[in-house]
Amino acid sequence: MTYSTMKRSLDIELISAEGLKVDRKPVKRKTFCIVRIDQDIRFCKPDELGGSYPVWKEKIEMDMAMNGSVRFISIEVLYKTSGGADKNVGFAKIPVTDFMGGFAPQGHLNFLSYRLRDEYGDKSGIVNVSIMVKPDGNSLKYSSPSLAAPAEYGVCSSQAAAVNGQMWRPRTSSSMALTAGYGGRVVTGVPVWSAYSRSS
Amino acid sequence: MGNCLSGDVAGGKQAIGGVQQRPTSTTTNNAAQNDAVDFFFRSRGQYPLFSQIELSLSASNLIDRDIASKSDPMAVMYLRKKDGKLEEIGRTEVILNSLNPKWIEKITVSFQFETVQTLVFHVFDVDTRYHNVPVKTLKLKEQDYLGEATCVLSEVMTKPNRSMTINLHGNVGAGVTRKLGTLSLQAEETIASKTVVEMNLRSVNLDNKDLFSKSDPFLRISRLVENSIVVPVCKTEVVDNNLNPIWKPVCLTMQQFGSKDTPLLIECLDFNTSGNHELIGRTEKSIAELERLCHQREAINFVYPSTSHGRNKVLKGQLIVDHFVEKVQYSFLDYISSGFELNFMVAVDFTASNGDPRTPSSLHYNDPSGRLNSYQKAIMEVGEVIQFYDSDRRFPAWGFGGRTADGHVSHAFNLNGASFGDEVVGVEGIMSAYSNALTNVPLAGPTLFSHVVDKAAHTASQSLSQNSPKYFVLLIITDGVLTDMAGTIDALVRASDLPLSVLIVGVGNTDFTQMEFLDADKGRRLESSTGRVATRDIVQFVPMKEVHSGQVSVVQALLEELPGQFLSYVRCRNINPVGAPAI
Repeated sequence: MTYSTMKRSLDIELISAEGLKVDRKPVKRKTFCIVRIDQDIRFCKPDELGGSYPVWKEKIEMDMAMNGSVRFISIEVLYKTSGGADKNVGFAKIPVTDFMGGFAPQGHLNFLSYRLRDEYGDKSGIVNVSIMVKPDGNSLKYSSPSLAAPAEYGVCSSQAAAVNGQMWRPRTSSSMALTAGYGGRVVTGVPVWSAYSRSS
Repeated sequence: MGNCLSGDVAGGKQAIGGVQQRPTSTTTNNAAQNDAVDFFFRSRGQYPLFSQIELSLSASNLIDRDIASKSDPMAVMYLRKKDGKLEEIGRTEVILNSLNPKWIEKITVSFQFETVQTLVFHVFDVDTRYHNVPVKTLKLKEQDYLGEATCVLSEVMTKPNRSMTINLHGNVGAGVTRKLGTLSLQAEETIASKTVVEMNLRSVNLDNKDLFSKSDPFLRISRLVENSIVVPVCKTEVVDNNLNPIWKPVCLTMQQFGSKDTPLLIECLDFNTSGNHELIGRTEKSIAELERLCHQREAINFVYPSTSHGRNKVLKGQLIVDHFVEKVQYSFLDYISSGFELNFMVAVDFTASNGDPRTPSSLHYNDPSGRLNSYQKAIMEVGEVIQFYDSDRRFPAWGFGGRTADGHVSHAFNLNGASFGDEVVGVEGIMSAYSNALTNVPLAGPTLFSHVVDKAAHTASQSLSQNSPKYFVLLIITDGVLTDMAGTIDALVRASDLPLSVLIVGVGNTDFTQMEFLDADKGRRLESSTGRVATRDIVQFVPMKEVHSGQVSVVQALLEELPGQFLSYVRCRNINPVGAPAI
C-alpha cells in the first residue's frame, strides 16, 4: 500500500500552561512539557521561574503518520522532584481532528488549549499549544473538507468529540448511514487520500 | 482574615506594565477608546465629545489587614451609573506588602465634558494568590476590604497639576471608625499612538545590599510629569541573588513613555519581601538616549543620590541596553481600512418560547398596524451597524428552531426560504426574508445555537484556505432561553481559533445569565465537553432591553468587544493590514 508510510510534518509549539495544580495545591517547582505522537516523544526545557503559570515557548518539529493509526497527540506536564524523579502534573489528549480536517486547512496555524487532568481524573490546569500541519508540495489527493454539507459537519465533529478520543463509535440516534465499524462519517481527522477510501 | 505568611511573594516579584500579554487575550483596563464605535459615528459627522484620560493611583497610610506582614493592596475603579449601580471600569495590579502603594497599572476612562461622572474607588487587600493571575479574575468577595473613596472626574481635571487626594472611608468591621488612609489620583490625557518599543536591559557590577546573599535586583521605570511628579510606568521581574542580572524584554507603548525625548527615571532596587525595597542606583534617560546607548554599545553608570549637599555618588553598577526595537502596533481601523473585510451573518430565533406570532404579546407579533416587533426593531438597529462595516451588504441569513417544509425541526434553515443560497441583500433583505419565514415556518424548538455556530465556523474556515483577509461576525438574535448549553459551548470552543466573533443579541425580558456565562468576561475560559478549552473569547452579549432603556447605545454595545477579539486573532498570527510592511 503506497499510503502506509506517508507522514506529514507538524510544527508544534509548547507555549505555556495556566493554573497548574498537584493535589489541588498550586505547583511551585519548575515544570516542563512533553509531547508524544505514538512512540515519538519530545521534551521541552523546564520553565526557569517555576510556579503554576509556566511559559515555555518551545518549537518542536515532529512527523505524524497519515494512515489513520494516529488519533491523538498526548501532551503531559511534569516537574522534577528534589529527588530527581519526574512527577506528573496532568495530561491532555489532542484529537487529530482538532488541527487537521474540520475547521483547519493545511498550513493554518492552530492555537489550541486543553484541560489537563491528573491520573485520578481531577482537573489540574490548562495547557496552551500551537500546531501547524506543514503544507505539502503535493496536493493531489487532498480534498477540501468543505465538500461535506455544513450542518452534517457540525454533527460530525461533535461525534468525534463526543467520546473522549475514541472517534469511531457510531452515534445511536443518527440518521446517517453507518459504514461498517467507522461510525458514520470517515472524514474526521483523516485526509481523503488515506487507505480507507479504497477499502471495500 | 489576613495571611500568616508574607503574602504571595512570587506575585510581588513579577513584572508589571512592560510585558506583552498572552497573544490571544484582549486588552483590559480600557473603558475608553473603541475604534470601531468612533469610526461609525465619525462617518455620520458625529465627533466624540470626550477625551481619553489615564489615571494613576497611589495610596498612603492604608490600614494593615494581614497578621504577620502588611496588606497587599489593589484598587478597583467603578463608574456610578444613572440607576446608582456601580460598573467596574478597571483595576490596578497588586503590590506586595505595602501600606503606601504606588500602583503602576493605569486605568483609562473617557472624560465626557457634559456629564457628571462619579468615580468610586474600592481598595482591597488581596489575600489569594495573584502570581501570573490576570488581575480581573481575582474575586473581590474573597479579599479584605480596605476602604473606599468617591470623586467626580471633572473635579480632578480642573485641579492644578490634575491631581487630587481624597480620604478613604468605609465600614471595615470592628465597629470603630478609624483613619483608613488617603488615595491620590493623577490624571493625564492619553496619546493615541501605535509605536511600541521593546528593549532588552541588563546590568553589571551592582552593589550588594543583602546581608547573607546577593541583591535581588529589579528595575522600575517612571515618567516625570510636570517636573516634580513621578508616575511609575513599569517594573521588571525580580532576578534573585544576582549582581549582574539580565531581565526579560521590556515592552513599552508610547502611551507609557510619552515621547522619545521625555526623560524617564530608571531606578534599580533590591527586592525585599517586607515591601521596603532598597535603592541600589538610578539614572535618568529618555527612550531616544537608550536607543543611542544600544546602537553605540555604550553603558551608563548608575548614580546614588547623596543626602548631603554634594554631588551624587557615581556607582560601578551599569545599565546596558542589549537590544532595541521599535515596532508598530496596528489598530483595528488600520486593518479595516487596508482591505480586511468584515462579513456579517444573521441567525434569528424561531423557537416557540417567543410566543405565537398571532398574539400581540409575542416577540414575533406581526402587527397589522405596521409597528415593528422586538425582532424587527433589533434587526433594524443592529442592521445599521452591520451595513456600515460589511461592504458588499450580502448577509447569509438563517433561522433556527423552526419546523421547515419537510416537517423536521431545523436548527439552521435559510431565512429566505431558498434551498440553495442563504444570502439576502441589505437590511431590507433580512426584514423581508424574516416576515416571509414567519408566515411559512411554524415556531418549534428547542433553542440550539450549535448548528448556526458550526455553519458560521465552516464559512470562516473556508475563507482560510482561500487566504483572503476576512473576518466573520455571526449575529444571533434570540429570546435567550438556551436548551443545550453544553452543545453550544462545544460549538463555540471549536470555533474559538477561527476569524469569527459571535454577537448574541437578547430580545425580551428573560433572565440572560446563561448568555453572560458564554460571554466569559471575567477571564474564565469556556471549556468543551471533550477537554478542549476556548483559545479566545469570541462571544459578546448585548441585551436589547438595556439598549432601549437608554443605558447604552446599540453601536456601543455591539462593537464593544469586536476590535479586541479581531486584534487577538490577527496579532497572535502576526497578520498585518493588507499591504503593510512586515513588523
